[in-house]
Amino acid sequence: MSSNTRKIVIAGVMGAISIFLGATHLGFIPWLAGAALTIMHVPVIVGAVLEGPVVGLVIGLIFGAFSLLQGAIAPTGPTDVWFTNPLVSILPRLFIGPVAWLVYSAIKRFNEATALVAAGVLGSLTNTVLVLGVLGLYRLLPWSLIATIAVTNGLPEAVVAAIVTLAVVAAWKRIESGRKGSTV
Amino acid sequence: MPEPSEFELSGRVTIGQYLPTGSVLHRLDPRVKLCMGLLLIVGTIGTRSLLGLAILMAAVLFGLRLARVSLRFALSGLSPALPFLFLLALLQVFAIPQHVAGSAVVWRWRFLVATTGGLFAAALLVGRFCVLVLGISLLSFSTNTTELTHGVEHLLIPLQRFGLPAHEFALVVNIAIRFLPILAREAERLMKAQASRGADLGRSGGGPVTRARRLLPLMIPLFLVSLQRADGLVEAMEARCYVGGKGRTHLIQLRARPVDMATLAACLGLSLLAIGLGTLGADAWLLHRLASHT
Repeated sequence: MSSNTRKIVIAGVMGAISIFLGATHLGFIPWLAGAALTIMHVPVIVGAVLEGPVVGLVIGLIFGAFSLLQGAIAPTGPTDVWFTNPLVSILPRLFIGPVAWLVYSAIKRFNEATALVAAGVLGSLTNTVLVLGVLGLYRLLPWSLIATIAVTNGLPEAVVAAIVTLAVVAAWKRIESGRKGSTV
Repeated sequence: MPEPSEFELSGRVTIGQYLPTGSVLHRLDPRVKLCMGLLLIVGTIGTRSLLGLAILMAAVLFGLRLARVSLRFALSGLSPALPFLFLLALLQVFAIPQHVAGSAVVWRWRFLVATTGGLFAAALLVGRFCVLVLGISLLSFSTNTTELTHGVEHLLIPLQRFGLPAHEFALVVNIAIRFLPILAREAERLMKAQASRGADLGRSGGGPVTRARRLLPLMIPLFLVSLQRADGLVEAMEARCYVGGKGRTHLIQLRARPVDMATLAACLGLSLLAIGLGTLGADAWLLHRLASHT
């Protein structure tokens, strides 16, 4: 049972990582055809897995608000322009954490590692599908192009998210139960 | 040998740019400024009228004038996006079929067809973006982050009655903002440590998979170090008997003055006007005029 203080702090710190990854562009991996994979949503998944759906929701909100700000103040690519609309940048991101947490807590009792991978993949796909879905509903992109992006960008993003989530949470849980205070 | 800027992260994590000109706008209650920002966003996205957007644009330009921010500086934030915006507008005109009543074909070349409806949608897209960028920049020019988190907390206090943890939420935002410089320092340290062990953090060359794998030796320690820091913060807070927002008092008390209320009312009026013009179809006659001309 984690305390309320712990939830607040983890949400703040994971929110900071998400902002940090975006602001420094460390969270972007150049991919095919000039598009970039992002891992900015990974802190949302990690936070949700560690501290529950509400924390995931709050980190998602911070992630979304930052991508809105970034789209407005320092756009770096053609897609950033769309993110000035909160229905694109904020709303879809609220669901990443709760989905990741649901998946994780459903599978956890069978196998923890599988649960982490599944949470990473489905949390990431939630982001991809909802953001692209809103863009499609706004008629900003034709649906055929959206399907292509979902496959070429969404799937590798999900794989990277799963790897990072698994590595981070597994390492953290081991540290927590074993030699506490050991440095990485 | 990677260039020195590779390890310099601290300078890149500032959010927004606060310009302390001490203008009338700077002295407004941060709660009011936040509400105005929200109203502007709602108005800009809610309106379907170019006329409404023009009104909001005029309001933002007036605000920039009041804040004593030079127009050239404010517009410079807009310029990097312009090429992309142009591309998006083209896409909007030619690639996406627009079903607007009374739309007429303006120009046709082989498979490229421009309709008045398409042009209208593209103008709306570009206008919306410009208003949003300038509006949000205006908020960040005139409000520093401390004021902003204070404003958020005070605005959410009424929602506490419905069980929404306003104080906790503001604390989360505050921790996130205060944590950024620490994270930047940690990341710099990690990058140097990994580079000294032979890690190739230079971001050029290699396929996408190689690049993704190159990121892991940095990302995983960064997450773990942050979680350890978070642990330390939790212990420190609990040792000082932090129990959440209940019964906490504030060092800074915000008071809304008549000026604040008047500004807010004016902003509300403008947003409603913009949305109203859209729903009433004020641009319809404009479109009709265009259609009948061609």
